Amino acid sequence: MTASSFGSSGDGFGDAPRACSAGSGAFADYEVEARFYDELFRPDGTVREACRRLVASLSSATPEELSTLQEGVARRFIHEGITFTVLGATKMSEHIIPIDCVPRVLTAAEWDHIDRGLRQRLTAMNLFLRDIYNEGRSLRDGIVPADLVLGCPQYRVEMRGVKVPHDVYVAVCGTDIVRTNEGFAVLEDNLRVPSGVSYMLACRTAIKQAFPRLYRAQGVREIAQYPESLYATLASLGPWGGDPRVAVLTPGHYNSAYYEHAFLAGEMGAELVEGRDLVVHDAVVYVRTVSGLKRIDVIYRRVDDDFLDPVVFREDSLLGVPGLFNAYRTGNVVIANAPGTGVADDKALYSYVPRIIRYFLDEDPILANVETHLCRESDGLAYTLANLENLVVKEVGGSGGYGMLVGPHSTASEREAYAQRLRSDPVNFISQPVLDLSRAGCFVDGRLEPRHVDVRPFVLRGRDDIRIAPGGLCRVALRKGGLVVNSSQGGGCKDLWILRDQHPRDAPET
Amino acid sequence: MLARAAADFYWMGRYLERTEQTARLLEYQLERLVDTPAEEVALGWRVLYSTFGHPAPPLPTDADEAEVFLIADAYTLAGTFVEDDTNSNSMISCWSLARENAKQLRPWLPVRVWTCLNQGFMWIRDCDFSRAWAEGPAALALEAIDRLRLLAGVVDAMMARDDAWRFLELGRFVERLQHQTVLLDTWARLGQPAQGARLSWSDLLRVSRAYELYRRRRSILVRRESALAFLVRNPEVPRSLRFAVHRIERLLSGIDPKGARYPLAAPHRMAIRLAATVEMDLGGDDPDPEGEDGSFSDLLRDARKLHDLVMASYANYPVERGLPA
Repeated sequence: MTASSFGSSGDGFGDAPRACSAGSGAFADYEVEARFYDELFRPDGTVREACRRLVASLSSATPEELSTLQEGVARRFIHEGITFTVLGATKMSEHIIPIDCVPRVLTAAEWDHIDRGLRQRLTAMNLFLRDIYNEGRSLRDGIVPADLVLGCPQYRVEMRGVKVPHDVYVAVCGTDIVRTNEGFAVLEDNLRVPSGVSYMLACRTAIKQAFPRLYRAQGVREIAQYPESLYATLASLGPWGGDPRVAVLTPGHYNSAYYEHAFLAGEMGAELVEGRDLVVHDAVVYVRTVSGLKRIDVIYRRVDDDFLDPVVFREDSLLGVPGLFNAYRTGNVVIANAPGTGVADDKALYSYVPRIIRYFLDEDPILANVETHLCRESDGLAYTLANLENLVVKEVGGSGGYGMLVGPHSTASEREAYAQRLRSDPVNFISQPVLDLSRAGCFVDGRLEPRHVDVRPFVLRGRDDIRIAPGGLCRVALRKGGLVVNSSQGGGCKDLWILRDQHPRDAPET
Repeated sequence: MLARAAADFYWMGRYLERTEQTARLLEYQLERLVDTPAEEVALGWRVLYSTFGHPAPPLPTDADEAEVFLIADAYTLAGTFVEDDTNSNSMISCWSLARENAKQLRPWLPVRVWTCLNQGFMWIRDCDFSRAWAEGPAALALEAIDRLRLLAGVVDAMMARDDAWRFLELGRFVERLQHQTVLLDTWARLGQPAQGARLSWSDLLRVSRAYELYRRRRSILVRRESALAFLVRNPEVPRSLRFAVHRIERLLSGIDPKGARYPLAAPHRMAIRLAATVEMDLGGDDPDPEGEDGSFSDLLRDARKLHDLVMASYANYPVERGLPA
């Protein structure tokens, strides 16, 4: 059977699903451990309702057929140059992001829960950001310690009193969500320049072609409209309405996410610009075209705050545009996300998000937080130092899986070195318990095995509405037993299928 | 169109054209290894190196030495133009640079154009040159040409005729104009020494993909003057100078928004001047590269100036000049 015909007959695509379980067929070596929520199987080894068709079709395939399928999906990524760049010791290297051919499936009810939680969270975060850059009520009322916010390196005093169009500070958000046996929880919010949406779309394109019949039979919700939604969101923030000229500001093709910047600009029909392509004249931003300078109305920036404008932020920045912030303050251009949003995705502030939601919305958080210990507090530091081997310790401003300690996977000397860093600069760290992340089936080394996963859905906040693509970047720790899912740390991605129909038995299972 | 993107398209076109030129000259030279006197093969290497502005490699001085040289060093010399990434004119370098430009152009490039270019790059990057050589020295150059032709076909089929396409084509034809001018000049200067081995004019036509047409239009007997004139002014030969300058002029009139009225943009004016030079100064039956007017060197100087004008007019202009009225 070839990859293209895989699943075309007698394998369960479009037919009544057969009874399957872990330990049979292609799942012969698949181990279900009750400690980890398995996305395919219940603890007793029977197949979860939403995954019956998927498991049935995979079970009927030989390892050779699955290999062919996996190779076809990976080849597509290679030929299309779907890459990310990693900064090595001496030079940049371009890597293909590993993709796993087995999709992860969530039911309509599960997604509805996540969707509502994300809307609530982003609404609260935008209100919080507006507050801390204007009235500061939440700080006066002690909802969040003022020194935590005002002392955060990502808090931009330059943003105080700036009129942000429609009070949308965060227009694009990527929230990392994990699942344990207790349910879904937010691991972190990415409110500055969240990346990964292009991989989400590329995964979908590749997997849809690999499983055409199954995809159709499952009733998977579409995500292809994301670029259109992103454009509509950005355009809605434009200063004059109508059809504004939108540009994606990229640091350049050496940036790790350059593929994504180019992809989104291309899909939206927006200009892909670098700082050197933009000119500010009389507080108006122009792009240099072959027929002179043309005005830019909305900038979807993929450049960190520090590098946006050398006149206001880091003066050694070569990536930004002199005068850009002044044009922004004047209201002649929209920058999304607004400068200074990073303060709200600081890992220390994360633990206050439930309080922020209650304070601004008078609602209980729909999505839970992960238990977090702030090392800036003496109790938190003491607890962290006493339990290093059982905790994950992170820098509050860190990202990409860099600079963190995964206690159970560390050596005594690593823990000792990390403890010294903690004692010398406790404000810079938080700790969390090692989570029993859920596991999804992956095709690894010629067989199906469970691997830990998380998911990053992308939320768009425009002038009047919030849009969420029904899906997300499902990241997977491809190393056996590994918990770090970042692509720069050996992680890969897989497609996430959100089922359209509400099934009687598809209530969240724990 | 974004000025930087226009420059990237332009350079992408130049590098792709240069890759093909390198491949064509290599193919010509490697095909000759089989049955051409060794001294002529050595002369061919000198022409190839000279065309790309490289100092000539050490070459044999007599026939016996040339025979040894033919066998021992052709592989190394060819490798310089295939897989040596320190040689800016090698196929791997040019393909890689074209891909680097294309990477920055992905929002403007149809996906199929990118994948075709990327697959071509991966093919040459992963190519085992010694194995390819064992299968036939010219086979690799031929496959490179085929892949580039495929890419050209995909570009032709997939890209709208907008400024992106115009700058890509402009880069191709500016590169072609410069390269063909250098090739004609080099062939005229080095190909016919007073003594010893000579390069045939029919080979010049073959390298320029014009031999079959020449045979039909003119004669199977190839004369120097006639061949040069054919490659300078014949409008049907895609690698003639006339074909290139006319295409450049047409592309620039499409790019220049003031193309319909005076004053024309500086690159456009230069293209018209180049066209006149090719038509009038080089258009006779006997273009003489060593004549008093120094025809080919003047043409090359102006073609290089055209490149500078394109960059200055469309990519690197001063801000004050670009502000809306």
